[in-house]
This record gives sequence, structure tokens and C-alpha cells, in this order.
Amino acid sequence: MDNRDKYNAVFRDVFMVDDAALGDTFEKDSVDGWDSVRQLALTAALEDSFDILLDAEDILELSSYSKGKEVLRKYGVEL
Amino acid sequence: MFLDLDKKPSDAPAVIDDSLEILTYGRLCSLVEDFGRRLPDRSLIIILASNTVGSMVGYLGCMASGVVPIIVNKDTECGQLSHMVRLYRPEYLWMPEADTNMPEGQRVFSAYGYVLVSTGLTAPDLHPDLALLLPTSGSTGSPKMVRHSLRNVQANARNVSELFGISPQDRAMAFLPMYYTMGLSVITSHLYSGATVLLTGRSMLDKAFWAMLRDGGATILTGVPYSFEILQRMGFFRMDLPALRIITQGGGRMSDSLWHNCVEYALRTGRQFIATYGQTEGTARMAWLPWPMAVQKVGSIGIAEPGGQLSVLDDSGVETFEGEAAGELVFRGENVTLGYAVGPKDFMKGDERGGVLHTGDIVRRDADGCHFIIGRRTRFLKIYGLRIALDEVEHIVQNAFPGTDCLCSGVDGHLVVHVTDGAEPENVRKVIVDKTGLFHKNIEVVQVESIERTKQYG
Repeated sequence: MDNRDKYNAVFRDVFMVDDAALGDTFEKDSVDGWDSVRQLALTAALEDSFDILLDAEDILELSSYSKGKEVLRKYGVEL
Repeated sequence: MFLDLDKKPSDAPAVIDDSLEILTYGRLCSLVEDFGRRLPDRSLIIILASNTVGSMVGYLGCMASGVVPIIVNKDTECGQLSHMVRLYRPEYLWMPEADTNMPEGQRVFSAYGYVLVSTGLTAPDLHPDLALLLPTSGSTGSPKMVRHSLRNVQANARNVSELFGISPQDRAMAFLPMYYTMGLSVITSHLYSGATVLLTGRSMLDKAFWAMLRDGGATILTGVPYSFEILQRMGFFRMDLPALRIITQGGGRMSDSLWHNCVEYALRTGRQFIATYGQTEGTARMAWLPWPMAVQKVGSIGIAEPGGQLSVLDDSGVETFEGEAAGELVFRGENVTLGYAVGPKDFMKGDERGGVLHTGDIVRRDADGCHFIIGRRTRFLKIYGLRIALDEVEHIVQNAFPGTDCLCSGVDGHLVVHVTDGAEPENVRKVIVDKTGLFHKNIEVVQVESIERTKQYG
């Protein structure tokens, strides 16, 4: 599984959505139920999948599908 | 006026919400008075609550003018809200103007993003002592309500003010939801004390939350165990927050390691860590662990709050007030609520408890008089601090899957749902998520051949 597949798998699992839903419009303000519980679950799942440890500021940045990719890039994960 | 709001300096800041506008006590009083004038005395209203000035003005306006509010989450699922409206027949709804699920009704007036809608319904008769109705369960949208008197709410405000020593200089971080008893208690106790409420509806993982905590100069932070898990993960214990003086926790027991970290933080930075205990039935708070007892009494809920009394009722029915004991925790105090309502007829009921609450929690009391929760008699779990009534979840599943039997169990943070065949586990989980807003990873659905019911209430 390449990084993009792993990244999508994390979102599918945390938000219970299909790949088709994932894209630039998949963001905190438009996704139903994107609360602190979901965001922390997203954090933990990304950390497990990519074997990284996110800084607090970067957890706050995880506010959309696109932003998440930028955050991962800072940790050397290319998607 | 309610909470003596009109006795505070009119230019003192009362509330700052996510709009960052400062609302003074003077302005708040005129909004509260205006709200009261719009509604006939003793009307019944459902408030679709959010942590905003608009929502709060509705609550205070009701309490100040003898209007009885039912406070529910603004995100209550549409079908559940309709069910509640049909059941309780409120004359009005106070709801966000932007709400797209606007029910039929006539708009009366609006303020701070909220609108008053007249339903045209005739409300049931209300007992003279009835002042406030809160749901028993924060998440399942259960129509079962706890009936509060004005005296209950005022006693809670006074007791909490006293135990934290809240002064007009304090600034409370109020992020727990307003429809949740402890969220409401944070608001009322600080307004009663003339302090400033930093009211936020932001997620704790939103930058704006942290900006308000830091730039708003919060002095008191009240959370549930899960809040402190997030705080810890976000490096809170290493942050420089010079104004902060108290961190306090209710809504269930935190892990021992998190407890130790809170204690260590408080000792190192010269702050107080105060654990508390309460239920909606006891108007949010009944016990507290005065700092620095948390150092020695790990996981304890402490002693009775000011103005209250705790006792332990053991298996043989003997009630004791001191010395080592184990049994059901009983609380006496002015904040013990009147009782429950499951239908509109119950609104005519008076005080059914007489100031005595059997909490359903099983405790151990040590020789120093400190209480530790060791079990629970009643059927609910806490998930992220919200109470999940197992009966309600079973009801939801059985309604959605006729012919399927269902029994719920689990531990705090993890709900286990047993269903008989006829329902796909994944579909059952989806229905529960849709109806309750719970996170699917906290729900485990197990398919079984049949359900053994004899142990249910054991």
C-alpha cells in the first residue's frame, strides 16, 4: 500500500466515508461530526500509520483532507 | 433578578463568546429583561442550545421571568426533536436563526443569532416549583428529563462559587456544552459571582479555543476526564498561562496516570487541582476534593460540597455518615432536584425527593471521610463525559430493527451492544452513530443467538 492509500484508509476508517467523498472539500466545517473526538482519532491513526509523532501545533492544523497532506509533508511523508 | 445579575457593576464584563464581543452585565441584564417581556409568564420553551451569547440569553431570560426551558443540544436529530415537541408541546422554541431544519411556526423576535419561534401549541400545566428541565442523557436524545426548581439552580451557583472561591476577577473557560448540567453550572456559578464567562463552542482541537484560553486570561478551567486527555496531548501542562489558578474536573473518573500529571502540574506551578462529583439529578455538583488532598487521595471524589451532606447506605440498609464504609452514596442538599419527567403529566409533579438523592453510585469511604467510587447501580456509561443511558440505546435499536432483541453493556468509554439475528452489526452501529452522535470506535456490536435477561438489573 503506498502512502496515498494509507492516508485515504485513515480517513475512511475515522469518518466512515468512501474514497469518493475525500478531496479538497473534505474539511472540518463541512464534515458532519468532525469534532475533537474525531480529530484526536485522526491524529492517532495518522501517527500509527506513518510512524510519526505530531506536534500540538500540527494537530491543530489537521482541519481538512488537504491540510493533512501538508502536515505530513513536514514529517517527510510524501503523498 | 436571577443570580442577582442586576446587582453586579453594569460595566463589568459578563460574557465573551466566539465572536469575541464583550457583553457587560448591564447589557446582559437588558437583554434578559427584554427576553422575559416577550413571553407570557410560565410558558414552556425548548432551547436548542449552543455555547453562544444568544443561547445563554434565552436561558437566563427564562430563569429570570418564570418561563420554563427544556435545554437540548442544537444538533439534536430532527426526528427526535419533533418527537420531543409533540410529546411536551412547548409554546416556543429558541433556536439558531441559521438552523435549516426550522420547524413550522411564527417568528416572534431574534437576538444574537437566535430566534424565538411560536409553535401555536398549548403547553401542559406546570407545577409552580418547576423552573428548568434538562435531559438525563446528553447524547441519546432521550425525552426523559430532570425537573429542577429555581432553588436547585441557585443553590448550585452559590455552592460552586463558594468551593472555588470565585471572585469578580475570575474568568471561567466555559466550553462544556450548555445542555449538559456541568456546562450550565460553570455559567451560572460564575455569573452569580460577578465573574467573566469565556463561552466557546469551539472544539478543543481548534486554534480559536487555545487563543481564547490564553488571550482571554482564563483563571478557572473546568473539564471532564476526556478534556484533560486532550489538554495533556496538546502540551497544556507545559504551557505558560499566568492567569490560571484552578483546574477542576467532574464527569467521571480520570485514569490514575492523568490524575498524577494534574497533581504534578498543580504542585509545580502553584495552582490547584480540584476533582468534583455530581449528577444532573443533584444539579451538577455534590462532592469535591479540596486541594491539595488530590496528592494523597488519588481518584477520590472527596467530601460533600458546602451546604450538602453525604452518607453511605450499606447492603444491610444501614446508613452511616462517618468512618470506613462501603455502599450506595446518598446526598442531601438544596441542589437535589425535584425528580424526573417522562411525559407532560409529570410537569405537574412537585418535589418527590425531599432533598435526598440516592445516587446509584457505589462508594467506599475511608477513615478520613473521603469517598471513592467503586461501582454503579444504575444502567449508564460515560463516554467523553456524556452520560449514555443503556435503556435508551436499546430502545433506539429495537425501534430501528423490529423483531431484534438488544441488550447493552460496557464500561465507561466503550459501549457493547448485543443484538440477536435480524440486524447486521454494521447497520446497528450506523443507526446508533446517527441517533446519538457517538464515535463509531466507541461502539462494539456483537451478534448473539439469544439474550439472557435475568442478570440485567442484578
